[in-house]
Amino acid sequence: MRYRISHRTRYSYDEDVSDSLGIAYLVPRQLPWQDVLSQGLTLDPATDDCTTDLDYYGNTATYFQVTDPHRVLDILATSEVDVRAEQHDEAALAAPWESARPVARPDVADAWRVQDLALPSSLAGQTAEAHAYAAASLGPGRPVGEAVTEVMRRIHADFAYDKTATTVTTTVDDIFDKRAGVCQDFAHLTLACLRSHGLAVRYVSGYLATTPPPGKERIVGADATHAWAAVWIPGDGWLALDPTNDQWANDRYVTVAWGRDYADVPPVKGVIFTEAKTSTLRVEVDVAPVT
Amino acid sequence: MTALRDYSTAVTQQTLTGEPARYDEVVAPDGTLRPSWRPLAESAVQLTEAELRRVGGDIERFLANDGVTYTPPSMDPGPWRLDPFPLIVDAAEWSPLEVGLAQRTELLNAILVDLYGPQRLLRTGTLPPAVVFGHRGFLRVSARKSAHDPHPLLLAAADLGRNAAGEWQVIADRAQAPSGIGYAMENRRVISRVLPELYRQAGLHRMAPFFQALRATLIDSAPNHAPNPRVVVLSPGTHSETAYDQSFIASSLGFPLVEGSDLVMRGGAVWMRAFGRLERVDVILRRVDADWSDSLELRKGSQLGVAGLSEAVRRGSVRVVNGLGAGVLENPGLLPYMSAMCQLLLDEPLRLPSVQTSWAGDPRSMAYVLDNLDGLLVKAIDDPVDLAHRSHDELRQLVLAAPYRYVGQESLPLSQSPVLDAHGVNPRVVTLRAFTLRYGSTYRPLVGGLASVFADGQARASKDVWVLKGRPDDPDQGLVDVLPLTNGRAPMAMVPRVLEDMFWFGRYAERAEDMLRLVLAAHASAEDFRSRPQSAGGASLAVLMGAIARLSGSRFGPDELDDNFRSVLLHAHRPGSVAQSIGALRDAAQSVRDQLSPDTWRAFSSTDRAAANLVAYHYSHQVAESAGEMLTGILSLHGVTANMIRDPGWRMIGAGRAVERALQLCHLLRSTTTVRRGIDVDRDVHNAVLAVAESAVTHRRRYRGYVRLAGVLDLLLADPENPRSLAFGIAEMRQQLAAMPQSTGSTRPERLLNDLAEELDRADIATLTAIEGENRPNLERFLDACIGQLTRFADAVGELHFAPAPTPRSFGFATVVEGP
Repeated sequence: MRYRISHRTRYSYDEDVSDSLGIAYLVPRQLPWQDVLSQGLTLDPATDDCTTDLDYYGNTATYFQVTDPHRVLDILATSEVDVRAEQHDEAALAAPWESARPVARPDVADAWRVQDLALPSSLAGQTAEAHAYAAASLGPGRPVGEAVTEVMRRIHADFAYDKTATTVTTTVDDIFDKRAGVCQDFAHLTLACLRSHGLAVRYVSGYLATTPPPGKERIVGADATHAWAAVWIPGDGWLALDPTNDQWANDRYVTVAWGRDYADVPPVKGVIFTEAKTSTLRVEVDVAPVT
Repeated sequence: MTALRDYSTAVTQQTLTGEPARYDEVVAPDGTLRPSWRPLAESAVQLTEAELRRVGGDIERFLANDGVTYTPPSMDPGPWRLDPFPLIVDAAEWSPLEVGLAQRTELLNAILVDLYGPQRLLRTGTLPPAVVFGHRGFLRVSARKSAHDPHPLLLAAADLGRNAAGEWQVIADRAQAPSGIGYAMENRRVISRVLPELYRQAGLHRMAPFFQALRATLIDSAPNHAPNPRVVVLSPGTHSETAYDQSFIASSLGFPLVEGSDLVMRGGAVWMRAFGRLERVDVILRRVDADWSDSLELRKGSQLGVAGLSEAVRRGSVRVVNGLGAGVLENPGLLPYMSAMCQLLLDEPLRLPSVQTSWAGDPRSMAYVLDNLDGLLVKAIDDPVDLAHRSHDELRQLVLAAPYRYVGQESLPLSQSPVLDAHGVNPRVVTLRAFTLRYGSTYRPLVGGLASVFADGQARASKDVWVLKGRPDDPDQGLVDVLPLTNGRAPMAMVPRVLEDMFWFGRYAERAEDMLRLVLAAHASAEDFRSRPQSAGGASLAVLMGAIARLSGSRFGPDELDDNFRSVLLHAHRPGSVAQSIGALRDAAQSVRDQLSPDTWRAFSSTDRAAANLVAYHYSHQVAESAGEMLTGILSLHGVTANMIRDPGWRMIGAGRAVERALQLCHLLRSTTTVRRGIDVDRDVHNAVLAVAESAVTHRRRYRGYVRLAGVLDLLLADPENPRSLAFGIAEMRQQLAAMPQSTGSTRPERLLNDLAEELDRADIATLTAIEGENRPNLERFLDACIGQLTRFADAVGELHFAPAPTPRSFGFATVVEGP
């Protein structure tokens, strides 16, 4: 599938901002199952200082600084992306889940590197509750594909989607307390659950193309950023699980960036120098199929 | 018997009684002196305990006079402690240690380069990945191809201890922002003064050339060989643990001491805000932990660093020393693998061993650690929190929950050394912090160091470290070709924060001085009249007490009068007290320590001693005694400022003093002279006012003891020759402000001053003193107007000269999210 993506982030302030510095993860990754045909990023006010760099995980990080006084900062990222559904190796998915622990697989070339993603991270603490929750699906010798998919299913079933339940600093404990959250929380929960059993899991930030209800027109701008989690499968690669929608990622999922958790790859983060008291954030995402 | 002989006897007997075997730094098991002490035997052995006590007292006084403080974590600053006995290492023993330290630092640098680059250590399994990936100091923002830096480690430190056989072992490496060189220099300065014969006799390596080399290294480390690189020392502020060390280094190297708010990111580079301009910064000697040094990419919300610093470093526009990622080396999880890493990266055997350490992330080592909780010290790999008093069950739970985060470390017996304490000269365990610098293309250890003395597991004091020369003509530090340090003061680095601290330095010094004079006058009056409140003198005492209440802004009544005087002198939490002003003065001075003469700290050691005496002695006259000593201390600051270079900082001290003096004067007159109380009372009050305003002598000469309010006001308000007068103060403020870089002659503070000067010119003393009933309404109105105008002026100076940059905040603070 091919998509034309437009992602607009707009911060408005009640006073002038004299200086804005930011980091954006808004450029989709080039991947075996995803081609980035074009991409662009524009800032308003315009800035001379806007550079891109590959970060530790190979994501494109954009650094920018705006020093013209402004009350509105508008960041528009556009891209055109071709995505194919990933094919997975059945045999690798059928291997016992214990053999997917990177510490157990010195024989696999990148096992040492992905140990990074089996450790706790700031937003995905490996709590005892997360460990116990996942244990119910991780019986000894169970095929890894089946086991982790069941964890995804249960999270989908046990936790309610609720935009008002959480914020960007919500912890795993908070999610268990509320039994509710948004895509980012469910991704963090998946990370915490599976990592606490030694599996390597990464947080993936991107977009999901939505299908309009039957008989309705697509509403432009009604899409949103999305997040899911991907589990390391030795001999296969990564199995991407979307607990929010109870499915494996497919050709409707556009991958932008990945890391240990949200904090590694927020779409936009920054620091401003201002006396302003309030700010307003407006995000508009449109993922339009190109036919 | 002399102190060392007694010590020797005690130590030898202790060995015989089968106490845990420790290596003694001074005495060999057979009771003879160690070789390192033999050259000093003659002088050292003759020292009696009484002499040592005298030396100990001298040390305390020297350190107090230099204002040397140390702030233990989450405590108030306290004095730095130094033991008279140095830790002495002779050339034969030092030489292998030096080679080992150099190799270790080279290895640590190679480890850093590898972990932030090719990661061979992890790929080959030489180092378990979780030791690095699970450590907070591993900064992924620096682990990018774009951030390649071949020499991220310029200055490292190692904490060393001895085993029972006397062999040095590394307990911990310090690479983030090693502290202690400043303290080491200060220790040397003090010990060389209090034990001059011993010092001369020893033939030891002086430390100055190492400092010169450090300075050269920092300058040479500037990116792109900038021709005149600007180096700054980035401090977390005066409340940090080692604030003294930071400012000592800044002022001895001649680099400005800055805080995060003084720096700003522009065009991918770091700049310093100075007089409304920006000046490019090339090298930052960082004393802020990396995590706190960039609120954009590292710890969100930190105000201690520079937002965007990681990006500037990656672009190579600024050099941060040590590199931001160096914190990963402060990691006891590395110790078990040092030897293998040395083989892989340097292809050499490791020379200097580390303390036996087991990383619990390895299942077999974890079992060993859990089985030996009795004998091992459990430590977190990236958290210095002390786990020593946790129960075995707690430790077991911690380790089992996240084994990769913990190590178990053998506890070294450590060596012991004589230490002078309250009970005499006793053996106490010591550790040695050694420093190593990248100089040219090699790593060079400081020939010396900083030793710490422990008792009951707590650091109690420090020791100077003497490394003896092999031959008398060996060059100091083995360095022959280092350029001497220029004695120039720090280049002008008047960031707004520094100017503000200077201004308040002036204001608080004056505020303390004025309150002290008022207390002295009131106390003298109280000594005469406290028992006769109905007399004229008693009434004037009441007026003076009212003046104290007004000037301090806190109640000051006749009950418990002595306690009240003591409280207004001693209680820092009492608003307007002398102690509060001196505390704030000290804070201001500490944050600009690199700009001030070391003589500044003598003032505080006088006021501290005066305060201690006041606490110790309960006689009423001690109030006057101590207030007088405090005044002497504060007055000595005039001598300090008189010798300062006439730069904008000095001008701000002058302006601050002048505005505070004028304000205090107006408040004093307002509370004493606007009401008529009868001839006798008024005469007493006016005399006291003249004394408080330090103009009594002049007045007596001019008016031959005939005290009239008109004469008092003429001298204190209008006389342009009286340095205590309002007119003089206004002229002083004008002159100082006019010389500031931002002044144009028409800035708001200058306009406010002009208005005030005109108002004073128009004022006529006869009109001011005019009486209505009991009151002098014209004088009241005039003084109130002056106070208002001076307050507006002080605020305007702040807005123009110290306007801070807006506080950095994260995107999305107080954010309302609008739905699509």
